[in-house]
Amino acid sequence: MVEDSRPSWENPMQFVLACVSYAVGLGNVWRFPYLCQMHGGGGFLIPYLIMLVVEGLPLFYLELAIGQHMRQGSIGAWSAINPYLGGVGIASVVVSIFLTIYYNVINAWSFWYIFHSFQGTLPWVECPLSSNLTTYVPECEKSSSTDYFWYRETLNISSSIEDHGGIQMGQALCLVLSWMVVYLCVLRGTEATGKVVYFTATFPYLVMIIYLIRGATLHGALNGLKYMFTPKVDPKAWIDAATQILFSLGLGCGSLIAFASYNHHNNNFEKQAIVVSLINSGTSIFASLVTFSIYGFKATFNYESCLDRMQLLLINTFDLTEDSIKTDHLDDWISHLNASFPDKFATISSQIEGCDLKSELDTAVEGTGLAFIVYSEAIKNMGLSQLWSVLYFSMLLMLGIGSMLGNVAAIITPLRDSAFLTRHFQKETLTGMICLFCCLVGLSFTTRSGNYWFSIFNDYAATFSLLFIVLIEIITVCYVYGLKKFEKDIELMIGHRPHWYWKITWSVISPFLIIGLFIFFIADYIMNGTPTYQAWDSDLGKTVTKEYPPFAQVVIGLLLVTSMICVPLVALITFIKKKKEQAKESKRSTKVC
Amino acid sequence: MLAKVLLALSLVPALALALCQPDGQDAYNVRLSIKTALGANAYEWSESEQFLFRATLAFAMRQYTGQETFNVSSVIVCDETPRVSFWFVVTNPSNTATLIPKNTVEAAIRLSRNRINSAFLLSDKTLQFLGIPPTLAPPSQPSLPVWLIVFGVVMGLVTVGILALIISGFIERKKKEKTIEDEDEEEKQERIMENDISCQTLEGKNGVNNGAYTHDEDRLTQL
Repeated sequence: MVEDSRPSWENPMQFVLACVSYAVGLGNVWRFPYLCQMHGGGGFLIPYLIMLVVEGLPLFYLELAIGQHMRQGSIGAWSAINPYLGGVGIASVVVSIFLTIYYNVINAWSFWYIFHSFQGTLPWVECPLSSNLTTYVPECEKSSSTDYFWYRETLNISSSIEDHGGIQMGQALCLVLSWMVVYLCVLRGTEATGKVVYFTATFPYLVMIIYLIRGATLHGALNGLKYMFTPKVDPKAWIDAATQILFSLGLGCGSLIAFASYNHHNNNFEKQAIVVSLINSGTSIFASLVTFSIYGFKATFNYESCLDRMQLLLINTFDLTEDSIKTDHLDDWISHLNASFPDKFATISSQIEGCDLKSELDTAVEGTGLAFIVYSEAIKNMGLSQLWSVLYFSMLLMLGIGSMLGNVAAIITPLRDSAFLTRHFQKETLTGMICLFCCLVGLSFTTRSGNYWFSIFNDYAATFSLLFIVLIEIITVCYVYGLKKFEKDIELMIGHRPHWYWKITWSVISPFLIIGLFIFFIADYIMNGTPTYQAWDSDLGKTVTKEYPPFAQVVIGLLLVTSMICVPLVALITFIKKKKEQAKESKRSTKVC
Repeated sequence: MLAKVLLALSLVPALALALCQPDGQDAYNVRLSIKTALGANAYEWSESEQFLFRATLAFAMRQYTGQETFNVSSVIVCDETPRVSFWFVVTNPSNTATLIPKNTVEAAIRLSRNRINSAFLLSDKTLQFLGIPPTLAPPSQPSLPVWLIVFGVVMGLVTVGILALIISGFIERKKKEKTIEDEDEEEKQERIMENDISCQTLEGKNGVNNGAYTHDEDRLTQL
């Protein structure tokens, strides 16, 4: 037998960094701070940490164990555990395909912002002028220069999902570049990405530390931090904590299984699982500190600009000397002037804004809104904004690429395990074909309505299906494969049986939690009726809520069904195959007699 | 005679005042925000500063119309407030009872806006002529957008990297194939492994000498 051993990581550190690079992604930066703020800082951290220990850690450990033991990608691994449930592996690959298709668009946006930071003044600082050079473009004046740059100059977004528009050249070019970068990293095989992850895993931390130091010195940062830690009582915090842990660790996609399959048989993954999970959660909290310092700065800046505007308005209307009104006594002045000169005051009463710091802080956003609008607004008011801009968007890029490497590994590893494909295609060609396919499909996200489709994929492609996959995974391992058998496998690998804590969480607590989440999701969907989305209205200069049209709802349904149906489908096919084999066997045995 | 002259003299300012009316048809409102613009270096608004303003405006009228008859006296100011805002009108030098129409004044100011601002160390935002929008600076549009240049550089680097990796992988594979072709039967046997032990060591040779069971020179006892 000619030895052709499975490629492996050069050292365990590369494996750990690959897992960290995959798990620590954009969700840590733009979803966790939002949740933290929604549920009031301290009020959210406690459910989050509890869920980490009872749900996140055990499931992470489980996936690494499976990968390292089976030494195959998700399809091969689950087929080996139980041929009827090989569909779980296929479902993971399908979800990973959806994920890779839409996730790289975010990297394209990061590239776009990085390239546009190499200018004298950042392009989102000022509104562009209208054609007669006397006023600013109305859409920009109604919203803000950062909104305008994002919605109009970057996305060129249409007013609804039905309005397709053409492919935006700039976006398409950046998407192609992003795919080329991903291909460059995975070209020589997943195990060769071990060198890349040294950089993608560590660079974001460097930037976050720099930002933390800068953020702490920004005027008004403390306001943001104080706000983050003011607790609000909210029962939904537990549900958000549970879902956040699950998705943040990247469970169910098959990437962890793929990475672990390249480990040596005796690698101590138990310690590594704990380390990576803790690093992931720690990063989320760290990122929140940075984000809230920036929030505080932006909110304070806007609040003080509002006060300055009001001061100017009053001074100009009532012709008072410039420094007569101090901004801290603004409210007193307003009431005084209103009482003394009611007629004159009435002329400007429509322009009087209530300047409120808290309402500025309350404008919490998540997702692309936070990353590309709020942060760029904060950056434009910092000194040396080009440098901060390049640093920040490079960090987003590294986080995104790190996660993409995991997603692509989840697809390529099971495909390369298949002897048929390896015989006919070189690994570079196979990888190239997958990247090309995903890139071409991904171009649909660069059309004018692309961002709406992106939201559909972001909200539905890898949420509910992943819950389903993880549930089936844990039930398969505990009850179909058998906990005792699994324990023995682990003992063979790391030399001791898993602690009873792991066994309890695997068999009872985690499945219970996931079933609970499942029920909640279904109930939520039924209660909320037709799903809606935020469409950008260029005349009003803000987003409006619209309902998804029927074809979009069909796509949502397809996204959910195509991945989940693999499990029962494969079970059925295997059942039929086994039945046919049994029938053939019995025919043969009767023939012999 | 003296009385007539005195009457005429007293009438002039009255006439002037009559010509300059806030919200008048040919009047403009000016607003200066000196403290906002200069902070600690702000100067006090005084009669002399007012004089400078009227002179600068007369200069602007001269530049625009080409008539060198405009003088400081052609510009009349009224309704000054502590805000430092006031109204002004420009009278026709040939007929001091009539006013220069609004459009002409506006055009003149627009032409020399920069000079007027510089005289007071202010800008379009801090020296406001209400009703005349500031001329916004058009953004500089380079011939090729800058971002494309950076994009091109990065794209080039990535392409070179991909090609290098593909070609080196190809070369490695060719070398490996060649060594496999070149090696003869003997070497191929060496490569075949069973249980991580090369088969050759188990078969062809005469076994492995186990040092633990070999005595050195002690086979025969010494005499």
